[in-house]
Amino acid sequence: MNRFWALTGRELKAFWCSPIAYVVGALFLLIQGLEFWLLVNFLSMPRLDPSITMPQLFFGGFYFWLSVLMLVPLLTMRTFSEEKRTGSIELLLTAPVTDAQVVLAKFLGAWLAYAILWSCTLAYFLLLRAFTAFAWAPVLTGYLGVWLLGGVLIAVGVLASSLTRNQIIAAVMAFGAMLVLFSVGVLEVFVRDPEGVKIIRYLSLLEHLGGFAKGIVDTRPIVFYATLTAACLFLTGRVVGHPRWRA
Amino acid sequence: MTPAIAIDRLSKRYDTVTALAEISFEVQPGEIMGFLGPNGAGKTTTLRILTGLIAPTGGRVRIDGLDVAERSLEVRRRIGYLPEHVALYPELRVQEYLAYRAGLKGVERGGRRSRVAEAMERCRVAEVARQLIGRLSKGYRQRVALADCLLARPKILILDEPTIGLDPHQIRQTRELITELGRTTTILLSTHILPEVEAACHKVAIINKGRIIAVDTPQRLRMRLQGTQVVRVQLRGEPAAFESPLRALPGVARVGVCGHVDGFASLEVEAASGADVREPIYRLAVERRWALRELAPVQASLEEVFIHLTTTEPQDGG
Repeated sequence: MNRFWALTGRELKAFWCSPIAYVVGALFLLIQGLEFWLLVNFLSMPRLDPSITMPQLFFGGFYFWLSVLMLVPLLTMRTFSEEKRTGSIELLLTAPVTDAQVVLAKFLGAWLAYAILWSCTLAYFLLLRAFTAFAWAPVLTGYLGVWLLGGVLIAVGVLASSLTRNQIIAAVMAFGAMLVLFSVGVLEVFVRDPEGVKIIRYLSLLEHLGGFAKGIVDTRPIVFYATLTAACLFLTGRVVGHPRWRA
Repeated sequence: MTPAIAIDRLSKRYDTVTALAEISFEVQPGEIMGFLGPNGAGKTTTLRILTGLIAPTGGRVRIDGLDVAERSLEVRRRIGYLPEHVALYPELRVQEYLAYRAGLKGVERGGRRSRVAEAMERCRVAEVARQLIGRLSKGYRQRVALADCLLARPKILILDEPTIGLDPHQIRQTRELITELGRTTTILLSTHILPEVEAACHKVAIINKGRIIAVDTPQRLRMRLQGTQVVRVQLRGEPAAFESPLRALPGVARVGVCGHVDGFASLEVEAASGADVREPIYRLAVERRWALRELAPVQASLEEVFIHLTTTEPQDGG
């Protein structure tokens, strides 16, 4: 276990020691600030549909998805690619740690960085709270949804990074895969069959996050996210470890 | 006694290329074994299999009696590995990096600081402990990587070209360190630089084109070449005047000009296998009234053994 925390600590440190963290973080917070500004404008409109809650607006807007889809590939692209490019992966994989520990530590490091960046946006809600009353619960479940969704996307990104030694390619692959995942929900409009719609809704990231932002904690998307995360991490482990196996 | 490293009919093929063709050799505990071969001979491939980075196509490796393929983690706990291309994390300070590596290698938190200090001391990197690795010179980075190898006090060190890219002064220091480490640790040292082997190793395994062509002590390998005699001859005059008459002598395989010093031509005459050319050279000198200043056998250096072994195809296929 000590070894695992040593690895995770190093991942976090690597992220916060690089200028990428601050450039990405600044861009992320800029987009989130824009989102918040739009939100405040929206809330002050007199004709707002009262059934739409404030967190739904925050965790569902265009800029929200833009920032998620932008942030994750930038967080995950270096995890394996960088070590492969420089060759430091050799020292990592000859240390007495399992491939699973390495993969999980890289995943957890990126996931924590993601969580830290998101937690900065809590300030907007504290600010809002000073002017108006709202229920905290949907905000927190919204964050839970964002965090779980982040887990899936980061696992996808880590898998992409394990496949190449080029960080740009890793980021583009992750972005592409995430876009596909995201687009599944959009297919809903093209499907007539009610069973088909159900399946698509189950797979739709948009749909899930809407639920979380309404304050609904549904186990189905949680199971879906956990499964997808585990599958991606398992595949990453196979990619990282495969040169060790006998053909 | 269990060999520290036992390599048994190890082979590695990449699609159509055979990187290793059933190589076998053993390293006994406490030995410093030189693993010598030209670039591309299969040294790094072998070491990568030894450390569990890649799997062989056939054969097996046991380290300290443990099969590398089956008990990779236990094997990795017993070895310190210095890769050919040392890549460390540039954003960390030397001390931080070594503390991180000590944690990875399972050194208890309480003893980590002293262990890191000890490794830094031994590898002479203590003076850069607080510097960023990215700012260090190649020589320092190499030594930091070597310090990393020592952190968990491994029984076996596997060093891939440890002196590559260092300046002569650093090379000497590194060699001294290896010799010193060799008193307590088994070392497998890969290199294409011969003096390294002659300076530090008890035994040498020579690899060429994926095959082991000799495993022996440096002294005995040198004796292997005694069959072909090399004689240094110094004669007064221009070297060109002596070359062709010497070459025409029976039993002479090759004549090389070494130089022209204070009026004397210095030549090296290599005899054909089994022949002694000293007497014919003397007779020729007398007959032609050459002033002969030196006529001495040159002891074969390991370099010649190496060139000889790696440039001629092995007749017996091994």
